[in-house]
Amino acid sequence: MIIVKDLHKKFEGNHVLRGINYHVHQGEKIVVVGPSGSGKSTFLRCLNLLERPTGGEIWFDGQLITDKNTDINKIREHMGMVFQNFNLFNNLTIMDNITLAPAKLKLMSMEEAKENALSLLTRVGLKEKAGAYPSSLSGGQKQRIAIVRSLAMNPRVMLFDEPTSALDPEMVGEVLEVMKELAESGMTMVVVTHEMGFAREVGTKVLFMDEGLIMEENTPQEFFNNPESVRLKEFLSKVL
Amino acid sequence: MEWFNSVWQRIEAAFITGDRWKLYLKGLGVTIEVAVFAALLGMIIGTLLAFMKLSARKDGRPGLLNWIASAYIDVIRGTPAVLQLLIMWFVVLKTCKNGILVASLTFGINSGAYVAEIIRAGILAVDKGQTEAGMSLGLNKIKTMRYIVLPQAIKNVLPPLGNEFIVLIKETAIVGYVSLSDLTRVANQLASKTYDAFTPLIGAAVIYFIIIKLLTIALEHLERRLRKSDNR
Repeated sequence: MIIVKDLHKKFEGNHVLRGINYHVHQGEKIVVVGPSGSGKSTFLRCLNLLERPTGGEIWFDGQLITDKNTDINKIREHMGMVFQNFNLFNNLTIMDNITLAPAKLKLMSMEEAKENALSLLTRVGLKEKAGAYPSSLSGGQKQRIAIVRSLAMNPRVMLFDEPTSALDPEMVGEVLEVMKELAESGMTMVVVTHEMGFAREVGTKVLFMDEGLIMEENTPQEFFNNPESVRLKEFLSKVL
Repeated sequence: MEWFNSVWQRIEAAFITGDRWKLYLKGLGVTIEVAVFAALLGMIIGTLLAFMKLSARKDGRPGLLNWIASAYIDVIRGTPAVLQLLIMWFVVLKTCKNGILVASLTFGINSGAYVAEIIRAGILAVDKGQTEAGMSLGLNKIKTMRYIVLPQAIKNVLPPLGNEFIVLIKETAIVGYVSLSDLTRVANQLASKTYDAFTPLIGAAVIYFIIIKLLTIALEHLERRLRKSDNR
């Protein structure tokens, strides 16, 4: 579904991604872990071109999205993204946050978009917040809404960029719960996170990134029980 | 009683004799006319310049539009408004005898430079994550700007824009240089005519103050309405 070939990204003399090759298949839940500065967020942000790679190719459903002539906005309609800082639109109500893109991109009529939004909000237990503004919500609520906002586009893949890192500890659970349900529904997911429990429980593959490369890739079972590289052993001994 | 009589005489001379209060009103009319036209023109020029300055080439480096806007802002901010007015009146638009038009254009062009920086700062102050979220949903740059960034930027720019408009109203007090009879000039002329500087000048100051106070109240009201989404 997503094929990454020899992906490089440089920021003014800083070589963040040094040749990533990976293939995400339909229905997989890829969890990316690694120390900070390892390039895992940059890798994720390259997948929908929020960061423009400086080298290599990214294919999505048979389309070369790193090609200059590809309409990246069209591609992004099918790739949901959830951010560490939620990034709900502060000037809009929750309902408008969710319906803005589907309605303005003419994927649905306003009524359909609203109906869809309400059923998604019900799914995450936040229906009564439809008329509220983001500033009145807790972090956990904001992140659940952010997930709903992406889902309203009926994406084929969901990208999560450290979705629980900015949350108070007691709110992490409610967000992971929504993500678990989403995984069970069959959604293809790529998740950058520090939640090792989530990686072990939900991931179909776990990747370890360090110094701009994928150092190790394995099933959660093997990844956590029989880490191969020294770096991963060190990393796991620090975080587990 | 003596004192009261003398004060009243001065007030009478400054404002009432020969319906002189009408002159102040006319002067105020000129001041407001120039300020309003200039503010509108300044907003248009400022918005254009702001987007020019925010534009970038494909490779992210500043392009020609950016350079033009920066040069405009540098020149306007680097020279006194009085000089700009004199240059417009005696050089650039020498043949135009409509002082109000020349003054409005000058102050509009001048204000545009300041408004540009206000709007640019207001847009840049909106968190980058808002744009990224819009883009990640498949909205293009224009739609993201229109529905997400600009509505938030307006809240940011309202206080400094109000400030700029207030400055503009007072800055029009120099239009006497191109023989326009605005509020300040009227007061100054009546001061010479009545041999009493105090009363007409203080009178004009009070009028400016009242106008600007009213404007301030209106702006505060508008700001409160726009802040609605912050505390609900």
